[in-house]
Amino acid sequence: MQEKLQAIVSETESALGSVEDMPGLEQLKASVLGGNGSLTVLMKSIASLPPEERPAFGQAVNKVKNHLAELFKNAVSDLNSAADAKALGEAVDVTLPPPGNYTGGLHPLTLATREVVSIFRAIGFTVAEATEVESEWFCFDALNTPEDHPARDEQDTLYFPAETRFGNVQGKADEAFVMRTHTSSVQIRTMMEEQPPIRVIAPGRCFRRDTVDATHSANFHQTEGLFVDRKVTIEDLKAVLDHFLRELFGKQVKTRLRPSFFPFTEPSFEVDLFSPNLGRLSNQWIEIMGCGMVDPAVFDQVGLDTGEWSGYAFGLGIERVAMMLHGIDDIRHFYQNDQRFLKQF
Amino acid sequence: MKVSIEWLKQYVELDASTDTLTEVFPMLGMEVEGVESSGPPALEKVVVGEILSSEQHPEADRLSVCKVKVGEDSPDANIVCGATNFKPGDRVPVALPGAKLPGGFKIKKSKLRGVTSEGMMCSCKELELGEDHEGLLILEDRPEIGTPINDLFGDADVTFDLELTANRGDCLSHVGVARELAARFERELKLPTVESDAPTVSEPSSENPLNKVSVTTENCKLYCAWVIRDVTIGPSPDWLKQRLEAVGLRPINNVVDATNFILMETGQPLHAFDAGKIAGNEIIVRNAKAGETITTLDEAERTLNESMMVIADAEKPLVIAGVMGSVDAEVDDSTTDLVLEAAWFHPGNVRATSRKLNLSTDSSYRFSRDVDPQFTRFAARRAIDLILETAGGKLLNEEVQVGEPPRGDRMIEVTPAFIRDTCGYEVNEEEIAGAWKRLGFQVETGETWKVEVPSYRSEVDRPIDLVEEFARIHGTQSIPEARVQFEAVSRNDSPVFTFMERAADSLVGQGFQECCSYSLRDGKEIEAWHGKEVSAALALSNPLTAEHTHLRASLLPGLLDTLAHNYRNGNDLRRVFETGRVLRPGSQGVMEFASVAFSILTKPASREWKAEATPDFHDASRCAQRLLHAVGVKLPKDGLNPLAESSAWQGGQVARAGEIAKNRVQLTVGYCNLSLSRQKDLDGPVLCGELLVDPVVLRKKPKPARFESFGTFPHALKDLALVVSKNVSAEEVRAAVEKAAEKAAGDRFTVDSVRVFDVFTGKGVESGMKSVACAIRFRSDERTLKDKEVNAAFDEIQVILADTTDYTLRA
Repeated sequence: MQEKLQAIVSETESALGSVEDMPGLEQLKASVLGGNGSLTVLMKSIASLPPEERPAFGQAVNKVKNHLAELFKNAVSDLNSAADAKALGEAVDVTLPPPGNYTGGLHPLTLATREVVSIFRAIGFTVAEATEVESEWFCFDALNTPEDHPARDEQDTLYFPAETRFGNVQGKADEAFVMRTHTSSVQIRTMMEEQPPIRVIAPGRCFRRDTVDATHSANFHQTEGLFVDRKVTIEDLKAVLDHFLRELFGKQVKTRLRPSFFPFTEPSFEVDLFSPNLGRLSNQWIEIMGCGMVDPAVFDQVGLDTGEWSGYAFGLGIERVAMMLHGIDDIRHFYQNDQRFLKQF
Repeated sequence: MKVSIEWLKQYVELDASTDTLTEVFPMLGMEVEGVESSGPPALEKVVVGEILSSEQHPEADRLSVCKVKVGEDSPDANIVCGATNFKPGDRVPVALPGAKLPGGFKIKKSKLRGVTSEGMMCSCKELELGEDHEGLLILEDRPEIGTPINDLFGDADVTFDLELTANRGDCLSHVGVARELAARFERELKLPTVESDAPTVSEPSSENPLNKVSVTTENCKLYCAWVIRDVTIGPSPDWLKQRLEAVGLRPINNVVDATNFILMETGQPLHAFDAGKIAGNEIIVRNAKAGETITTLDEAERTLNESMMVIADAEKPLVIAGVMGSVDAEVDDSTTDLVLEAAWFHPGNVRATSRKLNLSTDSSYRFSRDVDPQFTRFAARRAIDLILETAGGKLLNEEVQVGEPPRGDRMIEVTPAFIRDTCGYEVNEEEIAGAWKRLGFQVETGETWKVEVPSYRSEVDRPIDLVEEFARIHGTQSIPEARVQFEAVSRNDSPVFTFMERAADSLVGQGFQECCSYSLRDGKEIEAWHGKEVSAALALSNPLTAEHTHLRASLLPGLLDTLAHNYRNGNDLRRVFETGRVLRPGSQGVMEFASVAFSILTKPASREWKAEATPDFHDASRCAQRLLHAVGVKLPKDGLNPLAESSAWQGGQVARAGEIAKNRVQLTVGYCNLSLSRQKDLDGPVLCGELLVDPVVLRKKPKPARFESFGTFPHALKDLALVVSKNVSAEEVRAAVEKAAEKAAGDRFTVDSVRVFDVFTGKGVESGMKSVACAIRFRSDERTLKDKEVNAAFDEIQVILADTTDYTLRA
């Protein structure tokens, strides 16, 4: 009997080795463990044994049965694994480039804008915006720029014909519309819509009637800043700009406020930057932005009491920031959108 | 504006180096555009010598040994020389032992091949007087032996080219700049003294060659005319020529040069007329007549209009007021009697005229920045002194004056506390008052200070202006470093900015490259995309170039340009996007919208080892859906609908959701019109998506979403394939099935979803028809659905569809 059991085990083990698929396995399993299977038949022969031998035989059969069941279970698992691996196919060449590999990316002007905005967000400024089309009043008059000021001249500012009206850009009266020449007009819109204290940063597109060359562009981007509160001082202005420029260009930069003139600030300054790490612009004073204390005439225009409120404003060119940060020498790169340029950022 | 340092030294003691001044000017508010040195550098111990004799050097073929006389009392010098371009008797510059040549070369007594040399004879180049280094500089004029060489070539000078801000008209002169330097260095300002004078009269006397002087325009507040007789026109003296040349002016004759000198000294433009050429002996300051012409000194004929002001005689305009004179009354060699004009013209008028004529002159530049009317008379008298000195003649003892100076000194009341409060840092009262006094302001202290600002500072008239003057003169370097510290205010970023940020992030995540195009476009391009009406509405009135005549109505043309540029250059850039603002005409006028647009060049530019499926409408549609989801903009419920062919879009391949005019949002997605991409030489169709949003929509804060509970029981799924006409959209079929399913389910259970999972045409489906298969999911929140009830509902759906549609069940 023992020999017969041993023969079933060895026959099954060898047959498993040549099983290729699940039906083959099921067939083999039935031929051993099924109703007419070799083990089942052998087990039935227990009746022919003398009673004293039966318990030992029963135990031996069960042991073999468990062993075979284990073998079949492993065989199923092996077959499944092999089938899964086959479905995945052969080992791949991982060095091949993925097809359609467009990584995409942000434009360097967007990156520079976000960088500037994030520095100011961290100290409590939020983003304000207004339209790119502006009325003359918002772009000039409200900013203390009188009618005969050169900035308003048709040689410098893009005007719409007098009959062009706008649906969602409100003027003050029936003045003409222009493409805004600076983001400073956002100061006016913000002060007229919101109550101080105000701390806003206003990035946006601006327009000058300029011939395009390496340093001039028909449209360009600026970021305006406006801070209005009680008892705002020149010292506050300097503190914020020092902080900003050191965050943007590194802790080692030096700054200076150089007296200048803008109609909407008084006093007005240009901010110069001195840095050891600006490529060919290193170690010299570089003009980076304009700023000043909001001129009381501007507060008068928007109806804020100059006895109570004071503030500062500043503006910088995003193209200039991006050019300085990355050492870009021609402003036209930003608008040509050559991939060889764009992918560098 | 150019200023000469030597000239400035006439009005202020100046010992600062060029480097120091280069630092000082910007901090006073004057940008330094350039610095130029002229004249020889200071050369000590370089004198005129005469070569007495020359002999061959005993040891060297190419050298000679000369005896040179270098001064009456000095012993003759023995000098070894390599040059050959001289002969005994020539006078040359000699650097004596102890001299230091430019470049640092020190001259000392030495031996050259055994012969003692007591100095060096110099070439032009060695003294930095010119480029000639071929031989010795032979002084053909034979100046006195022993004369220091510097005496022959005038003074060394440094010229600064300063750029002044528009508010600082007072600095457009040497006196003005000297005043600033005097304030900065705490020195005294030394104004030149004037002698000539004459009593003021309002009408010319009979002695006067002029019969009448009248002003008939508002834009001339003060007009003064002086008369000088018997002048002799000729060249100016050297010192005057040198001054003018130093600041870039060409000397003309003694009278014109004198007025130019005064212009550069005082900032007051003057004009000298030849009295003999004034027709009718009458001067009229008036507005020009429309169409009136004048030939200006630059020999250009200019047509004037009524907004311009002229100085005219009885017949014709002689000068465009404040801008330029005409050839008609020019002072020339034959002039003997002069009329000298000194006036104050309205800055805005001169500026406008100068702009309109595109003619900017030293005079118009200054008048348009508000010349000091209190200084006009001083400048005229100073010019007269100079003319009498250089051209002779005699001043007529009367000054005809029409009008009055329009402004004078002003009094500003201010407190030191205001200054301190605005500055934010500690400064004492002496420092404040001191800064203003240095600028020539009078300060009367007390509880409230009274500050008298002289008329030359037209722009200083409020307390805040005094803060600027204090900060400027006291120096901004004294503003202390401070920490950023202020109370927070509650406010969010502009919703448009956030919208653009999210849109950009979504599209970058989908493999798109952000681009940036000009907002200004060619009108023809806008017409090709959007038609004549849109193009007409977006035209600028004063475009600069033919390519930039209109504002953009869409971001897409710029994206196509970008694709085309990169395609041409062999770059593999096929998915691009831009965010920005665009204009579209609407019923209430032109509207400015926020827009996001993307473009996909469908034909790959380069081969790939494993072909990627060519993108189609549905790929673009998916990009748009993902974009919308990311920015949180909701479209109208009926979703995308087919859009008819238009100039911008390709028919049958494009869909739109929303109408910007009605819904304030609009999404269009599909192929842009093939004719447009072909125009850009793009090989293959371009898929585009364009989202337009009225910023008003973005300002609305979305309501928080309400939670809806969902069941835990399993769903039941039924598939239904319907044969429908090809013209029926999949969505139409799906919606009909959903409606039928909801009706069939009634209130017993719910329809989870109905989804199209197959669309088929071909074998087994009649031509002109298509099969649309939907998967219907049923669910109950309370129990597991039984097959029986699901089957009953499924049967009922088919009955409802048979009753309400002409769809047939696919066999």
